[in-house]
Amino acid sequence: MRRIYLITYDVCDAKRLRQIFKCLRGWGDHLQYSVFECQLTDADLLRCKAQMADILHHGEDQALVIDLGPAASRSETLVQAIGKPYSAMAAPCFVV
Amino acid sequence: MIQPIDDADSIDPSADQDPEELLPARMINELVYCPRLFYLMHVEGQFAESIDTIGGTILHRRVDNGTGGLAPAEPCATQSFIPSSDEEPVVAAPEPTKPKKRPKSKHLQPATLFGDDENTEPGNDQTDPDNTMPDAETESDDDTNDPPRTIHARTIHARTIHARTIHARSVTLSSESLGVIAKLDLAEASGNVVTPVDYKRGRPKRMADGTLAAWDPERVQIALQVLVLRDNGYQSDEGVLYFNETRQRVRVPVDDELLALTRSSIAAARRHRESGQIPPPLISSPKCPRCSLVGICLPEETRRLATAGQPIPQVRPLVTARDERRPAYFSTQGMWIGKQGDLLQAKVEGKVVQEIRMNDINQINLFGNIQLSTQTIQTALGRDVPIGYFTQKGYFYGVSGGLGVKNILVRRQQFRLADDREFCLDIARALVHGKIRNQRTLLMRNHREPDATSLRDLKRYANRALKAESLASLLGIEGIAARVYFGDFAGMLKVDCGVSTGGEGFATAEKQPAFQFRSRNRRPPRDPVNAMLSLAYSLLTKDCLVAATMVGLDPHLGFYHQVKPGKPALALDLMEPFRPLIAESVVLSAINTKMVTPDHFICAGKSVVMSDTGRKHFLLAYEKRMDSLVTHPLFDYRVSYRRLLEIQTRLLARRLSGEIEDYPVFQTR
Ligand code: SF4
Repeated sequence: MRRIYLITYDVCDAKRLRQIFKCLRGWGDHLQYSVFECQLTDADLLRCKAQMADILHHGEDQALVIDLGPAASRSETLVQAIGKPYSAMAAPCFVV
Repeated sequence: MIQPIDDADSIDPSADQDPEELLPARMINELVYCPRLFYLMHVEGQFAESIDTIGGTILHRRVDNGTGGLAPAEPCATQSFIPSSDEEPVVAAPEPTKPKKRPKSKHLQPATLFGDDENTEPGNDQTDPDNTMPDAETESDDDTNDPPRTIHARTIHARTIHARTIHARSVTLSSESLGVIAKLDLAEASGNVVTPVDYKRGRPKRMADGTLAAWDPERVQIALQVLVLRDNGYQSDEGVLYFNETRQRVRVPVDDELLALTRSSIAAARRHRESGQIPPPLISSPKCPRCSLVGICLPEETRRLATAGQPIPQVRPLVTARDERRPAYFSTQGMWIGKQGDLLQAKVEGKVVQEIRMNDINQINLFGNIQLSTQTIQTALGRDVPIGYFTQKGYFYGVSGGLGVKNILVRRQQFRLADDREFCLDIARALVHGKIRNQRTLLMRNHREPDATSLRDLKRYANRALKAESLASLLGIEGIAARVYFGDFAGMLKVDCGVSTGGEGFATAEKQPAFQFRSRNRRPPRDPVNAMLSLAYSLLTKDCLVAATMVGLDPHLGFYHQVKPGKPALALDLMEPFRPLIAESVVLSAINTKMVTPDHFICAGKSVVMSDTGRKHFLLAYEKRMDSLVTHPLFDYRVSYRRLLEIQTRLLARRLSGEIEDYPVFQTR
């Protein structure tokens, strides 16, 4: 089961900042500057956290993983935007 | 606990073939957990990841990298040997004594075990700085390695005393006499005594009285390590399990009882490997829900089918209902797909039109003229993401693999049984019967006014299929049933045809054919419904082919469909009962819900082609169907159609291996 996680980070070094941004792009949608929304299975979360742990400097940087509950029963109002619109997509496949 | 195959020894293909070859200790660990698991993984070569195996891999990557390399050349008196990715590589203490080389074992890495004659107590808990917090609930996140928050004076003292204990990581040792090779996460040596330490994820077992203990698989693994050490001339009496999550150590003394268990387990492993007989699944075991192979093993389903006739307890829904990842379809002509980090980038005329995360997809499908970069192909194949190829119109070419299942035993069985006429006929009868029953169900559910005669006829043909004398007569029955069924097919279309050909005198009448259906035709399809049916069958063939390959079967050797070069006969076999339920049902819902409309089609001479937009809509409709949940009539749980295809294919494999006696063709109620 996928759950929705909000992942935010505070990174002190420009190189690590780029690395963590690139890493999280592989796991979720970039919502805002250093904020990602990720829909992850338990296994994904484990891998994602391990990747982040490898990049972050444990004495200087911090990332927060905020659990917003199961993706399947996601409420319409889970994330509300003021200003530019926000939309979450849920299709059974990707068609391009 | 199931361990990942993360060390070279256990994925070395040669290790699995010769019974005289050394058995990796991990295998025996798995055998003690469940003999069937051992068989599936090490005899059949199947593997699936679970949260435990992934966690284990991550943990072991760190353990192995603890000293900055797999083969530490120097003995180090570590201050803290808890592996930590961001820690400075542990500084080697100014060589206490020279390491003595022990040329005895060919698998021993540069000797790091010996070299200290300090008389420290082996496996002394106090050498572990973290031991000061035996019950610490400090850190459940094993990705961060915080230094212990409190260090008691006692520990610091202890540390100075034991500073000359030697630690070596990732030591591989073998024993010719046991025929076992073991990899030690960590060996603590002091004097002549060596204590193996094994890193575990999670928490130790806790006894009723609160003391910590170890499960049998872990105890046996430690015993093997101890035995292998002894065989290499070291003195070793016990081992230690170190639990990363709770940072606790559990000592495992190796006594006679454990030795006996270990020896019998080694013997059992050899026996199972030579027998070619899969051990039966565990019975209602609490181990199964945590087993990474549960979706491959299907313990409850197999038991239920193997004991047909007897009252059976409920089947626990142990398989996950659906795959969390989704297929990707690319059908914009001239598109170029490349990879950027973990992202797929689809570009049209140099501009990125969509980015898709590799982590989110389980298939890549290409329609027509689309370029995929080599890096993307490599990544996809490396992750077992198959790539399906279609023409622009949706004719299915094939799939390129990456579904590397080594399960040759089931394939051998498939080839043997494909030559057995009776067996083929048996499977074929069941498939055709199931297909006709499912056609009938679809008519009953969706027809505006189901025709009683047709329904009765279909029932008759279904029963006749069960008694068919030959594949040829079965083909005949299938043909007649199809004629009846497709004769009534139009009655399931609930959208008024709108612009009908030659109807109200519209000039567009020729350009926009209506949803009419007279009979099934193909190559080329002559009306929109037939065009959609063809595309739906193409997609379904692809998914059946993927399922067959994933399970380890050869998709080209069928039992009902005859062998013809390039024809995925087994995929077509598997597909028969699902044609009405998936393909035809998608066509109906695409039309009836107006996902696809007449202006999504273009007439080209006598044939009808779907427009790009139409195809995209149809692909969505198809995947919606594949993703929808359906109740399995035998097991009474709900799974997606895609998962169902996989389960049914695995059951066919079980039928081939003889574990179950009848192949239960899927029929909706
Ligand atoms: S699911 Fe159960 S029976 Fe099957 S291999 Fe795993 S533990 Fe054994």
